[in-house]
Amino acid sequence: MNIRLARVEDLPGMQACNLQNLPENYTMKYYLYHALTWPQLSYVAEEDGKIVGYILAKMEEDVSDGDEPHGHVTSISVLRSYRRLGLAKRLMIQSQEAMATVYKAAYVSLHVRKSNRAALGLYRDTLGFTVKDIEKGYYADGEDAYAMRLSLKDLAR
Amino acid sequence: MPPAGIPPSRVLPSKESGLFKEVLHYYEDRQLKKGLKTADTILKKFPNHGETLCMKGLILTHMGRREEGLELVKQGIRYDLTSHICWHVFGLIQKGQKNYEEALKSYTQALKFDKDNINILRDAAHLQTQLRHYDALVETRHTLLRLRPQLRQNWIALAVAYTLIGNLTEAKHVLEQFERIVKNVPDYDVEMSEVLLYHVRILEDLGEHNEALALLDTSAKSRMIVDRVAIVEHRARILSQLGKPEAQEAWQGLLEQNPDCYDYYKGFLSNRGIDLDAVTDENRAQALEILQGFSEQFRRAAAPRRIALTIATGDTFKDLFEPYLRSRLAKGIPSVFTDLKALYRDPSKRETIESVAHALLDSLAHAPDAPCPSSIDPTMYIWTLYFLAQHHSHLGRHDRALALLDTALAHTPTLPELYMFRGRVLKRAGDPYGAARWIDQARLLDLQDRFLNARCGKYRLRAGLIEEAGEVFGLFTKKDAPSPAQDLEDMQSLLYLTEEADAQLRIGNYAMALKKYVAIQKVFDDFEDDQFDFHGYSVRKFTINIYLNMLKWEDTLRSHPAYVHAAISASRILVQLHDNPSLATKAASESHLSEAEKKAKKKAKKAEKKVQEETKKAGGNSTNEDKGLEASPPKDDDPDGMKLLQSPEPLERAAKLLKPLSLLAKNNVEAWIAIYDVAVRRKKYLQALQALNQAHRLDAVSPELHIRVVDFKRRWSSLSDSEKPSETVAHVVASSLPSLLPDEVSLEQFNAQYLQRHSARGDAVLAAAKASRALGAPREEVEAAVFNALNADVVLELETAVAIHAFLSEIQSPREDEFRAACKEKFPLSSLFAPRSELPALRKSAVQKEIAEANEEKEEVVS
Repeated sequence: MNIRLARVEDLPGMQACNLQNLPENYTMKYYLYHALTWPQLSYVAEEDGKIVGYILAKMEEDVSDGDEPHGHVTSISVLRSYRRLGLAKRLMIQSQEAMATVYKAAYVSLHVRKSNRAALGLYRDTLGFTVKDIEKGYYADGEDAYAMRLSLKDLAR
Repeated sequence: MPPAGIPPSRVLPSKESGLFKEVLHYYEDRQLKKGLKTADTILKKFPNHGETLCMKGLILTHMGRREEGLELVKQGIRYDLTSHICWHVFGLIQKGQKNYEEALKSYTQALKFDKDNINILRDAAHLQTQLRHYDALVETRHTLLRLRPQLRQNWIALAVAYTLIGNLTEAKHVLEQFERIVKNVPDYDVEMSEVLLYHVRILEDLGEHNEALALLDTSAKSRMIVDRVAIVEHRARILSQLGKPEAQEAWQGLLEQNPDCYDYYKGFLSNRGIDLDAVTDENRAQALEILQGFSEQFRRAAAPRRIALTIATGDTFKDLFEPYLRSRLAKGIPSVFTDLKALYRDPSKRETIESVAHALLDSLAHAPDAPCPSSIDPTMYIWTLYFLAQHHSHLGRHDRALALLDTALAHTPTLPELYMFRGRVLKRAGDPYGAARWIDQARLLDLQDRFLNARCGKYRLRAGLIEEAGEVFGLFTKKDAPSPAQDLEDMQSLLYLTEEADAQLRIGNYAMALKKYVAIQKVFDDFEDDQFDFHGYSVRKFTINIYLNMLKWEDTLRSHPAYVHAAISASRILVQLHDNPSLATKAASESHLSEAEKKAKKKAKKAEKKVQEETKKAGGNSTNEDKGLEASPPKDDDPDGMKLLQSPEPLERAAKLLKPLSLLAKNNVEAWIAIYDVAVRRKKYLQALQALNQAHRLDAVSPELHIRVVDFKRRWSSLSDSEKPSETVAHVVASSLPSLLPDEVSLEQFNAQYLQRHSARGDAVLAAAKASRALGAPREEVEAAVFNALNADVVLELETAVAIHAFLSEIQSPREDEFRAACKEKFPLSSLFAPRSELPALRKSAVQKEIAEANEEKEEVVS
């Protein structure tokens, strides 16, 4: 199981992985936008050339005055057949480090479905995220989202 | 008196001239209604003012009235052929249509009449990059730099242009100059950091490793480069190249940051003179020692332990493998098998794996009816059974796999993985209906999981249950999409499009199959178009290294397996259409939309009607809404694919689809066979022969190649002298063909020889029979030939058996049922040889509503 920085040629594999795992999907241009704007932040888990997990991350563009720079996880998922390996955690950690080091991100945010117990467990219990807010009707199908946040202050060099 | 060279019709009196300036401002601010009105005011007095006509056309395009707009623009140009504004507008519109070649021509014209126009130059640069006109790009970038040397991006863009034409030395000079004169770079500037990393990469590519290292170290120290990972990666690589001792430390540092990265282990070992991909007996022990050290240092990382398994041999392998397997099975990791699969290429390792795993199972086995004894870890038990099932199925022992899975299922009936894999085994054994049913049961265990849902959909497609697949997919696609299929296509799901296309092809629905293959082609066209905006964007953002990587990726885009498969499969349909045009008309008479498709069609019609009513209410002109220059995607006016199927020139379309493959899939035998089939029918005999030679280079005994070699000789020999192409072609064929098929051997002899040499291969038997038939052998003879594939000493794969069955059906053989029955015996787990009458029941059994119902129905069918 190889964990490394995402390359441009990985993007179709990430897109395929995303389509198999999650109902929130994106066209290739959006993946290119992430990779070509923040090339240091997205990572993949790869086995024998196949993308089995990924994290697609960015720095938040709409930063209001006084707000510190912060990272945002657009999407993260691992194929079901590759779960229980701690891949999501490893992907997240690599991405967070880059956010803190390269962009001086103060914290990283993400959204998760209220009903997604597995993801909640990962973010809250394993990675230390806290719930900042509930965003009602965030998802296309109307489900609420937990807006979660993790401080990166102790990661910055 | 207007300046020389300007047509009198362009100059406007001061009032209208002022109005024209207003039009330009309104357009820039996208105040489209006002712009339109003002333009009309000018045109009332000066109806032939080319520039105003063009601007009006541009505004209309932005308002969605594209056809009108384009007409006006064309008119405007005709009235003023030397106006840079007219050509610029025309170029903008063509660019919006993604007609990049023509757009560049218009921009080039515009530049003739206003050579220092920055907007035009910049757009031209983007087009030149898109079209890969890199020489012209360098010139354009030089001009832009000359005009605006104070703009940082212009320097970087010029360096990029030089990089693209391969002149790294010049690129380096531009960057050096830039770095000398750039001022006021803030601390910790990510953009400058990326520029420096680009510079370092150029130095590396030039082989100037010392200079690269110097720049890297200085910039790292001054904190001008902020990407720590990139710094250390570059450092490690360069230091290794230079053979410096500090390299080891650098690789070590990288591993501490990310102990899961294979490239870092490779780099570390390579630095010690060990090539991870080619470990020798001499350095094996040393490599293993190093990996052992890393395994201890990085306890949580699997990588060093797994890499060691690749390198180790014999008893060392066994000693390392056993604890590795144990710990992973105890954790209940589903992917143990796929993790180890690469090791199976080594037969001795395969045996060790089997013996160790079975020993483990024996230690865990207990009576199935009794509860699990406390000394036995139930998790480990289940996952060991699962692992061994995967192991045996991979080696073709499907019965054994099923037995292991059934034991596991009896023990733990709630684990989706067990149902999933049971389905997969059935698929491999040739029972797509059973497979679909089992995957469905897995899906029902966790309806929240899209992965299970997607698998279920895929397996239904494999079983030909196309509508049912759509129902399942629809549980996770967008509710407001016209149909699940449309949503998956919009989101560019190559997996879905491929499976659906293949499914349609299998049931003989050529129209829909072709439609989906063409949809895949379109996805790749869209991927190609996606790069356009980044030509300007990435230069502004200074993320040059990844931008260059992106261009490289785009250059080999269609090497992607999904494109290759779609191109080959679509070309096969088109070749069949060419050979048998009645297929198109026959399809038309049989065409009917499935229930899901009818629903989707209705929904789309309703939505379109709604849009029409809304636009009527809103009125054409009364909105300022900027629809941009790109047309919205066209509505699907060919829902059953009939229009596409009946389009003219199928061979030309096929050739176009296959064109990228000769470069991007040149080690793919199937691709060359497909290229041959099209070329020979287009009477391009040299291209056809070349394809045969390429296929021969890759697999000289390929059965499909054999059929085509016979085909080529037969076609070539039957050409009358007037039909034969030029002397040169004839000469090449005469000198080249004998290496594939000796002159003195007759086609019948050649075929017989091939059969004799490869009679133990089922697919070769079929190929020889097909060639026989093409040479006019009587049907009974051909039938007898394929029946030999059933002999005990012949290796008959399931796929070949299916192909032979299809072939017998194609030649309307009365022995078809006989063959089918024989296959049923040979492949007892397969449902592919069931008589047609059983199909409805099989299809029904593949789709279950509840597991309870499933069990009931299973009993019904069996009794």
